[in-house]
Amino acid sequence: MIGNAADLVIVHLYPDLLMSYGDRGNVLTLVRRAEWRGFSVRVIGVARREQLPTTIDLILIGGGSDRIQGLVGNDLAGRGRELAELVGGNTVILGVCAGYQLLGHRYVGVDGGEVRGLGLLDVTTTAGATRIVGRVSTRASFDNRSFDVSGFENHAGRTFLGAGVSPLCSVPKGKGNNGVDGTEGAVNGSVVGTYLHGPMLPTAPAFADALLVRALARATGGAPLRPLDDSIEEAAELSERTRHRKQLTSRGLTRTSTWANWGRAHRLPPRERSSSRAAPTDGHAAGSSVALRLPA
Amino acid sequence: MSHWGSGSSLPGMIAEAVSPGFIRRRARLYASVALVSGTNGKTTTSSMLRAILDGAGASTVGNESGANLRQGIATSLLRVPVATALAVLEVDEATLTNVMPELEPRVLVLTNVFRDQMDRFGEVERVIELLERSCDLLPEDATILANVDDPLLWPALEHRDPVGFGIRLLQAPASVPSMRVETEVCSRCGEPLVYTSRTFAHLGVAGCSGCSWRSAEPTYVGTITERGGLRLVTLEVAGERLTLPTGGVHNAYNAIAAIAAADQLGVSMSQAVQTLRSFQPRFGRAEQVQVGGRSVWLALMKNPGAAHVLIDEIADDPRVGSVVVSVNDAAADGHDISWIWDVDFERLVRAGLPLVPSGKRVGDVAVRLKYTGGSVEPQHPDPLDAITAALAVCPSDRSPVVLATYTAMLSVRKAFGGQVASLADAPV
Repeated sequence: MIGNAADLVIVHLYPDLLMSYGDRGNVLTLVRRAEWRGFSVRVIGVARREQLPTTIDLILIGGGSDRIQGLVGNDLAGRGRELAELVGGNTVILGVCAGYQLLGHRYVGVDGGEVRGLGLLDVTTTAGATRIVGRVSTRASFDNRSFDVSGFENHAGRTFLGAGVSPLCSVPKGKGNNGVDGTEGAVNGSVVGTYLHGPMLPTAPAFADALLVRALARATGGAPLRPLDDSIEEAAELSERTRHRKQLTSRGLTRTSTWANWGRAHRLPPRERSSSRAAPTDGHAAGSSVALRLPA
Repeated sequence: MSHWGSGSSLPGMIAEAVSPGFIRRRARLYASVALVSGTNGKTTTSSMLRAILDGAGASTVGNESGANLRQGIATSLLRVPVATALAVLEVDEATLTNVMPELEPRVLVLTNVFRDQMDRFGEVERVIELLERSCDLLPEDATILANVDDPLLWPALEHRDPVGFGIRLLQAPASVPSMRVETEVCSRCGEPLVYTSRTFAHLGVAGCSGCSWRSAEPTYVGTITERGGLRLVTLEVAGERLTLPTGGVHNAYNAIAAIAAADQLGVSMSQAVQTLRSFQPRFGRAEQVQVGGRSVWLALMKNPGAAHVLIDEIADDPRVGSVVVSVNDAAADGHDISWIWDVDFERLVRAGLPLVPSGKRVGDVAVRLKYTGGSVEPQHPDPLDAITAALAVCPSDRSPVVLATYTAMLSVRKAFGGQVASLADAPV
C-alpha cells in the first residue's frame, strides 16, 4: 500500500517454501482476528530475492524440511540487518519450527552442514539423531502473561537457549527445545520462536491476541483489543488438552521416536489398540487388523 | 468379496514366525509380482490392476483391504496360487525396501509423493529417498512405472530409466490452486518450478526456472475429456474412450497407472480399458450410500493432496448440497492434523456449501471452518449425527458429501453397518 498502509501489515516469509505444517493457519488467525475487530489487514508473501515492504508490523516464518531450510538460509541471512532494525522498531516476529531455528544463531544439520541464522534469538540448534515428535499442551508466557497453548512438534533439531532469551513454555522431559531441559520455544521482546505447530495460534486465541496487541500498536497505540467470542477455539483447545492428558497417562509420558523405532512400531498394532475411544486402526495402513477387532 | 475379510495382519505374522523365508518362497510361486507404492492411489491402482488382469483370465492375489505392511503382505500370500497366478501388492512406502528383495517384482508402480503422516515420516524428502532406495533393490529386468507428472518423485528416479505415465487435461482446470500442498522447487537446483499445465496440487507439466530440468513425456498418457464430479471421469487412452464410474483426476491417474502396469504384464491397453469401464470404487473412494431414501457420497480424505483433488471435484458440482468434514487423528490418520489448514475449505464456502464439522478432532475442524470466514454448522463428533445434520441443510435435489480421514471413514462405514459393503459387492 503506497503511503497509506493497512492498520496491520503482515509479512509471510517464504510462504511457498516454509509451509509444511499448516503455517498458513497462523497467518489466517491473525488476519481474521484483526479483521473481526474492524482493522484493515494486508498480507504480503515475500519469496527469495524479493524485497521486504517498508512498513511491517508482524513477520511470520514457518516450518520446512532440512533441504528447504538450506535453500532459504542464505537469503534470510542477507536480511539480517534489515530484520534487526525492524525488531528495534517493535515489529513482531513469530518463527515456527525451521523458522524458529533460523531466528537463532545457527542450525547445524545432520550432515554437519551449517545454516547461518538471524541471531534475533539467543538460541543455537544442532540436529539430533532422533526426531522429537508428538502433541504438546502447555502454557506460553509472553508480555508478563501466560496463555493456554496446544500444538504438535516434529523436529530433529535440538535447540539450546542462551542468556538473552526466556523459554516460551515449559514441557515434560523428552519434549520441547531439546528433550532435556524442559523448555519449549524462546522469547526476546517481540521475537517469538516455537516448535509447536498445529498450527498453534488458531486454538490459542488469547496468545494470538497478545501478539496482535503489539503488532497493532501503530494503529492503536497498544490499547487492549475488543474481546471476541472464542468459545469454539477454547473448546477445541480444552478438548485437545483433555485427550492429551488421558493419552499421557495411558501411554507413558514421552514419545521421542527414532526412524528405526517407527519400523518396529508399525509392525505391531500401535498405541490406539488399548484405547476404547479410538477407532480400530492398523498402525499405518488399513483394514488389516480391523477385521480382528470389529465385533462379529 | 468382503472388504473386511480379505486382509488381516495376524495370519501373515504367524506364517512368517513359523516359517522363516515365507514371503520369498511364496512370491516364487507366482508367474509375476507387481508392486504399487507411493502416497496416494495405492489401493485403487492395485485393485484396478487386479481387475484388469482377472478380466484377462489371469488369477491374481492381492491385499485389496489395504493391509500393506509386511504382515499384511505375508497374509496376502497365504493362499497357494495356481500355476499362472500373478500377485499384485500395494506396499507401504516405508515397507518397500524391507520386502523388495524377497518379492523380486517384475513391475514396480510408483504413484506420487504427497505430504502424509508426517509424524511418521518426518519429511516428505524422506519418503522420496525411501522410494529411490527401493528402486536399487529391484531385479535387473524389472520395470519402474512412475508418475511423470510428479516433479518431486520423477527426478529422483530419472537415472534409473523409469517408464512414465501421465494425465493431460483437454480443458484447463476451473481454478488455479489457491494454496500449495508441497514446496514446488526443483529437485536439482532448488529454484521454483514453473508449470505449463497442472492436473491437481503439485502434479502437472513443469520446468525449472533456474536450470534445464523439465518434465519428461509420458509413455502412457490419458487425456481427460470430461469431468463429472465424484460420479465419473472420462479419459481417452490409446485412442479409446474410458468413462470411469468413479470421478476425480486422481482416479484418472490410478487408471493410467493400472493400464500401464497391465500392458507391461502383457494385457493390451484396449482390453484393460474395457475392464475398467465397470470398475467399482473401494473403501470410501467416492462411494455412494443411501440414507432414508437420499444419496450420500463418501470420499476418503487421507491428506491435503487428497483433499485438494476432492474439493476440485465437489466445489463446482451442482449435485453436491452440503459437506461433512470428519477428521480423526489415530495413527492411521496421522496424529498431526495441521494439514487441515492447507486445505482450501474456503472454496467450498465460496460455492455456498454448508459445512458440518465431525470426527474426533471436531473442535479443531470447527475452528478451521470458522476461520474460512463462512458460517459453520453445529459440531457433530459422531459421523451419523453429522450426516443427518448435513442432510437437513442439503437441498432435496442435491446430496451431501462426507470428506473423512481414514479411521473417520471406518466409523462412517461401521455406522452404516453392512450397507456400504453390500452396495459395493453387488455386481454392476
